[in-house]
Amino acid sequence: MLLDVICFSFIVALLRGGRVKELPKFYKVGLLVGSIILQVCAAFFSKWSGVFISVAYVLILGFFVFNRQYEDMRIFMVGWFLNALAIWTNRGKMPIDLEQAKRLPYDLEPVINGTNFKHSVLTEASNLPFLTDVIYMPSIIPRVISIGDIFIMLGAFLLVQRLMNKPISLLQLREGKSYAAKN
Amino acid sequence: MQPKTSLRRIAKGTVVQFGFVLGAILIIYSSFFDWQSRDHWGVLSAYTLLTILSTFTPVRLSNTILTVNNAVIFSGILLFGTSVGVWCAVIEALIISSLTRVNVIKAAVNIGQLVMTIWTVGFLKDWIVSINAISPILADLFLAVVYWLVNLILCGLGISYFYNKGWIETVKEMAKGFTSTYLLLMVLAGVGSRLVESHGLLTLIPMMIAFITISYVFHQYYSNVQKLQQKVEEIKTFNHRFLTTMAASIDARDHYTSGHSQRVAHWAREIAKAIGLSSEKVEEVYFGGILHDIGKIGIEDRILNKKGKLTPEEYDQIKQHTVIGYDIILQAGMFHELLPAIRSHHERMDGKGYPDGLKGEDIPLMARILAISDAFDAMVADRPYRKGLPVEDALQEIRRGAGTQFDSELAQHFIRVVNQLSREELEKIIQQDGHETKQLQEVID
Repeated sequence: MLLDVICFSFIVALLRGGRVKELPKFYKVGLLVGSIILQVCAAFFSKWSGVFISVAYVLILGFFVFNRQYEDMRIFMVGWFLNALAIWTNRGKMPIDLEQAKRLPYDLEPVINGTNFKHSVLTEASNLPFLTDVIYMPSIIPRVISIGDIFIMLGAFLLVQRLMNKPISLLQLREGKSYAAKN
Repeated sequence: MQPKTSLRRIAKGTVVQFGFVLGAILIIYSSFFDWQSRDHWGVLSAYTLLTILSTFTPVRLSNTILTVNNAVIFSGILLFGTSVGVWCAVIEALIISSLTRVNVIKAAVNIGQLVMTIWTVGFLKDWIVSINAISPILADLFLAVVYWLVNLILCGLGISYFYNKGWIETVKEMAKGFTSTYLLLMVLAGVGSRLVESHGLLTLIPMMIAFITISYVFHQYYSNVQKLQQKVEEIKTFNHRFLTTMAASIDARDHYTSGHSQRVAHWAREIAKAIGLSSEKVEEVYFGGILHDIGKIGIEDRILNKKGKLTPEEYDQIKQHTVIGYDIILQAGMFHELLPAIRSHHERMDGKGYPDGLKGEDIPLMARILAISDAFDAMVADRPYRKGLPVEDALQEIRRGAGTQFDSELAQHFIRVVNQLSREELEKIIQQDGHETKQLQEVID
């Protein structure tokens, strides 16, 4: 899903002289695995997909909370939380704006007839519409994203910089310092 | 007095903790319906990006760091109304609270003050538009000033409550720090908004470049200022060390008065503080004390360290130390501000002192202060050939000399300063000798 963002982040990190030396240790990886399993289950048991996806989002949020000592994880947390709000209040599916989605080269049939396990059509009845997938992003891979996704992309970018040993601290940027000291 | 103060504090606490939070809830709730509208989603996402960007694009000032969020919020209000400004405030609060460990109440109060500012400016903007009597440029300028003022007043109220300080003085302090840059950013935001309004979103690109350039220029400028300040500090430290070393070398020559200059400097500083001199003047007086006896360098060892009574001729020679010291410093071309301290610290109010026989107010203030400190230390400090006088007796002497030998007002202040100290503190200061300069500094600070 974030393939282009991650590739772009890697290129930036490489240009900044970053190299992967060691992978960071994440805590409670089980939560992440659990969430993936739930999402797979959602694809197979469409009747219960809303519940599976809603719980999967709780698990991922839990994973971010346990790894919150890193700024990238906290930015992920904000993004995931905003998306989760949209999903939880819309029966476990992320509404997508058809007007924007029609510009995508994908088949929207499953979304329209309700068989897509993750997305539903954004209607007047949808809750928190401003947090759903309403922004058309033309490149690098065209997609319709939500405001939460903007944070997730930023989090992914920061995570890659940290993986490549060139972390950027947003807080230090805010304090007028250029880059984070290496952890 | 006490109940009135606490009543005021309770009132302030209620306004800040309940008023601000309630304000925040109501304003965010009312904006919520605007966010639902399809027309606003593009704007909301654009402003989310701008908020993220501006939250981490600080403009550095000499004493504080200003983020450009307020400028982004202001442009949001001007172009799209209160709800977009509130959206930016919420997004900013979300980012900051997730990145930093925040106190929930303080965070709520902070967003409260911000959205109340936004609401006020939004409300005024709608009103100005409805009466259609002021030109847009004037209206924007007026709104920028209102934004700054309301933000300052509400923010100051919150800070004054949490840090238990006076509201007005907090506001004044804040205003002193960043008003000009803050207003500059707001005006730029206003101009940018009007450009976007007439020429479309693409004008945001040059606007962002302008912001980044300004931020960069400020950054460069203030880091240079900071470097300069550092240099000045270094020179100051060097001067202080140099003066302290001088004092130690003066005292080292006079075996009887080890640490005398340091102690005199200490008491002089206490008097200077007590009469409310500025911190720079207080420091000057302190170094006057450190150097006051520098002329003793020019007195023969035989006389300076003589055991027993001095002959009138020898005493005359000792008296010369004020003039010798004065000449040394005059020739050195440095520390000119300390000259009166060195020359006139043995003058008396009744005109019977030396070297110039100055009288009353003609004696420089620094010298009058040092006369008391010098006499006091000479009386209470132990000498190898005699034990120091008890503090009470020395103070009695000072009291007796007030008006004739010493300035009576300064003497009163000095007696009060000494009486305020505990017996232990007093002993610690009196017993310090030159070898323990560092500890004395610690006692002083």
